[in-house]
Amino acid sequence: MAQTAVQQRKKGMSKLERKNTLIAYTFLAPNFLGFAIFTLVPVVFSIMLSFIEWNGGALSNMKWVGLENYATIFKVEKVAEKFADGDFFYFFNRVDLGIALKNTVFYTLITVPLTLVCAIALAMALNKAVKGAVAFRTIFFFPYVASMVAICVCWNFMLMKDGPINRFIMALGIDFNKSWTADSTMAMWAIILVSVWRNMGYYMIIYLAALQGVPRELYEAATVDGANKWQQFRNVTLPQLKPTTFFASIMMVISCFKIYDVVAIMTEGGPGRSTKMLVTYIYDIAFARIKYGEASAISMVLLVIVLVITIIQFSSEKKFAND
Amino acid sequence: MSQIIVSKQRAIRKDNPLLNMVGKVLLYVVLIAVALFTLIPFVWMISSSLKLDREVFVYPIRWIPEVFHWENYTLIWQKVPLVTYFKNTAFIAIVVTFLQTLTSSFAAYAFAKLHFKGRDVLFMAYIATIAVPWQAYMLPQFIMMRSMGLYDTLWAMVVLQAFSAFGVFLMRQFYQSIPTELCEAARIDGLSEYGIWARIMLPLSKAAIATLVIFTFVGTWNDYMGPMIYLTRDVNKTIQVGLRRFIQENSSDYHLIMAASLCSLLPVSVVFLCLQKYFIEGIATSGLKG
Amino acid sequence: MKKLLSMILAVMMLLSVAGFAAAEEELKEVLTVVTWDANTTPYLIAQEAAFEAAHPLIDLQYIDVASQDYAIKAGSMLSGNDTSDVFMVKEISDLVNWKAQGFAEPLDGYMEKAEYDVSGFVGMEANYALEGTQYALPFRSDFWVLFYNKDLFDAAGIAYPTNDMTWDAYAQLAKDMTKEGQYGTHYHTWLSAVANWAVADGVNTLADGQYDDLAYFYNLYQGLEDAGACMAYSELKSSGLHYSAAFANGNVAMMPMGYWYVSTLIGYQNDGTCNFNWGITAVPHAEGVAAGSSFGNLTGVMMNAKSENKATAWEYISWLCGVEGSKATASTGARPAWVSEDVATAMASVAGFPTDEASKAALLPTFVAVEWPVVDKLSDIKPIVEEEHTLIMTREISVEEGIEEMNERVAELFE
Repeated sequence: MAQTAVQQRKKGMSKLERKNTLIAYTFLAPNFLGFAIFTLVPVVFSIMLSFIEWNGGALSNMKWVGLENYATIFKVEKVAEKFADGDFFYFFNRVDLGIALKNTVFYTLITVPLTLVCAIALAMALNKAVKGAVAFRTIFFFPYVASMVAICVCWNFMLMKDGPINRFIMALGIDFNKSWTADSTMAMWAIILVSVWRNMGYYMIIYLAALQGVPRELYEAATVDGANKWQQFRNVTLPQLKPTTFFASIMMVISCFKIYDVVAIMTEGGPGRSTKMLVTYIYDIAFARIKYGEASAISMVLLVIVLVITIIQFSSEKKFAND
Repeated sequence: MSQIIVSKQRAIRKDNPLLNMVGKVLLYVVLIAVALFTLIPFVWMISSSLKLDREVFVYPIRWIPEVFHWENYTLIWQKVPLVTYFKNTAFIAIVVTFLQTLTSSFAAYAFAKLHFKGRDVLFMAYIATIAVPWQAYMLPQFIMMRSMGLYDTLWAMVVLQAFSAFGVFLMRQFYQSIPTELCEAARIDGLSEYGIWARIMLPLSKAAIATLVIFTFVGTWNDYMGPMIYLTRDVNKTIQVGLRRFIQENSSDYHLIMAASLCSLLPVSVVFLCLQKYFIEGIATSGLKG
Repeated sequence: MKKLLSMILAVMMLLSVAGFAAAEEELKEVLTVVTWDANTTPYLIAQEAAFEAAHPLIDLQYIDVASQDYAIKAGSMLSGNDTSDVFMVKEISDLVNWKAQGFAEPLDGYMEKAEYDVSGFVGMEANYALEGTQYALPFRSDFWVLFYNKDLFDAAGIAYPTNDMTWDAYAQLAKDMTKEGQYGTHYHTWLSAVANWAVADGVNTLADGQYDDLAYFYNLYQGLEDAGACMAYSELKSSGLHYSAAFANGNVAMMPMGYWYVSTLIGYQNDGTCNFNWGITAVPHAEGVAAGSSFGNLTGVMMNAKSENKATAWEYISWLCGVEGSKATASTGARPAWVSEDVATAMASVAGFPTDEASKAALLPTFVAVEWPVVDKLSDIKPIVEEEHTLIMTREISVEEGIEEMNERVAELFE
């Protein structure tokens, strides 16, 4: 009885719903078909692959190994042993995965805020009645369209010993003259520098658009209340930019965690392991050593981290919305 | 009301003309400094591309070459089949951009404005794949493409990039900022969902489209890994693969490398310069709200 | 805008259809060979011409990969069930990987059937025999020699390097040849160029887990770098300067490099890129190691297990590695793996090869060790040694620390 009632209710509701769903599906279909075949299926497949030992070639070569791939990349036994000995940071100091994780997180933590701050500052500056705003805007955005192959070669020259950047730094009285990419500490900063240089213009444009959408009345009201420029910025501009910041930071965190090209061209992960990143590590394991199972397991680590961050950001967006 | 405020602001400004001047000058100084910082690599590229190779690393840097060696540019056209590379890359970039923009805006409309079963799950699937690095699923994808006979064809690059989740995510974020009431009103007026998409959403999302076009075009044009893995024969190679090979084969001809790199930059720059008006004005009118 | 786009789209599609139609060719049997830098490597061009002349019904087509990407591109092609017939083997470690995944066709059967003569390889083919089965054959064998710029030595009035010289004597010579704008020697950034010399004694290998023997060579290098006798590693690395250009620029007196560079130099002389006299000698040797000891690498060919014309592929492999192919290889100044009188004559008579006796004598090393031996976990050991190499070379850590790290990390692999 109860069941039929539910069914009936479903049926009753479903006419409109079904029609809507059908229409929605026609909208989705062109993209979804391509997306499902060329992206979703391979992604799901690669999730499975992390529990399988496989080296490409015939599908019959696959062997289910459970969590073994994960145990290998985390070096579980060795790490546990060292942990028992009181060496708590063995994983981050010695294990490839730990080092790659540490480097990637460091890179992301520095690059995202730095880029956002630069982007907001530039957008604020250009939002004023500045002569030549269009020219500035174009210039700042330009690095974003440049190909990384060409640009990284160029930056490597710029950051060389006796190169223009080092000359500038030395002119400022700082005693540093070494190729950045040949120095364990500076190599990472070289990559951060190039990333910020490349992306700030893109996010500047997004902020610029958002700034122009901030209602003038809000500033006027703030002025009436006697707020100074800084207070206006903190209490009016920043809150109004929150949705944009949300979008920008999600996109940036994801792309920072996936950093590959700059590293591959500029430092190849070196010197030593100082700029080894998660994706360069994945690449290396998958293609130089043909261990697809392990490579997939590392990808899953990356996936989980990024998903967790995204979910946190999404839930904080909801909080923003409720504010 | 507002007039009073404006005059009040003017009054404040008049109070501190000097401070204002200083602020303005400071602003320009900072802007110009950042612009220089942004442009230095490009200026260096241009100036190196017009020098002889041994002049490239001479210090102090000579930003303007003594003699302009324009022949570097004719030389690279002889050395590399740039025309083939350009043609291939243009084909991929244009088709991908077209498909991507069209299908993404279609799908994004469903995600943003329609209610249907499984919407959130599907959307999560899209988001999740953005987070997976391509390197992680490159292999299964590669095997599939081969079995479809797409390997070493330009179409492989097209299907690879035309349906990315990013496009849908971006467009959905834009569409969400368009008030739902607009759609409701249109529905009451008897417009079908397709009509709403075509007559209301599309015109309002010029900015988003321009953004996506720039993004996709640039991304496809500059992609290195995809073509490297999927395109094998010389007739199919793209500009980035060609450029990388050129750099390797002529590793010490910095002047030629720079000239070739600059040539590879030109088309993207043109697309960007053409679209940037829409890009920025459009964003401003529709108002990007995350 | 959209109209414009769709018009361009239509034009592009037409173009591509036209392209396909034009690609239809006459019916020759096509043999595809995956290799690197096909356009700029003289011996590949010579081999192709000679092979096609000898086999008019086969159309040999190279699939060209940038050399830096070779392992990755070839690996992904094979994993993706590519059917290209032959893959060139750049590193033995790649072959080990490929064999483990079943990508490599065992050649024993073909060799038996053809009664293939391997005597000319003087045992080198054994490096491609994995667990007793032959998976590839070598067609090129390079050992390292010392290149020097005769003009610079003449100008300085200093005697040329000789075939019997210790590393210390070499270092002194390098310092003597250094002056403003001129470097005594040049080390490319590779591990092989700097520290591989330790394996030339035939006892040490890079995979034995003991790296203390590298210390001498790192110290030697750092001494030279400090004296300004060679370009600094960090700058070479960030500028990406290629060794071929470094030596061809004419301001470097000596350079240890693989024998393959002979053919590059001859090519440079022919097209006018460089115009100085040069010669080769055996690489220097450590105290107590016989003069003329060196190490080398093989370049070989592997048959793809998924090839659809294996008979033709074998035809190519046997030709390339045998006498005829070796002559073609030798004609460009490259050193074939197969050595017979015919081939030796071909090597000596290459136009552009130095005519002095010492250079000729340098062609006959007394001992050639293999750069990387085939061992278990080779592909895990290599990155470790190479990572620590970059740290030592950039002086991020001391030589002792770096070697300690190598020992420790490699030991961990085998725990």
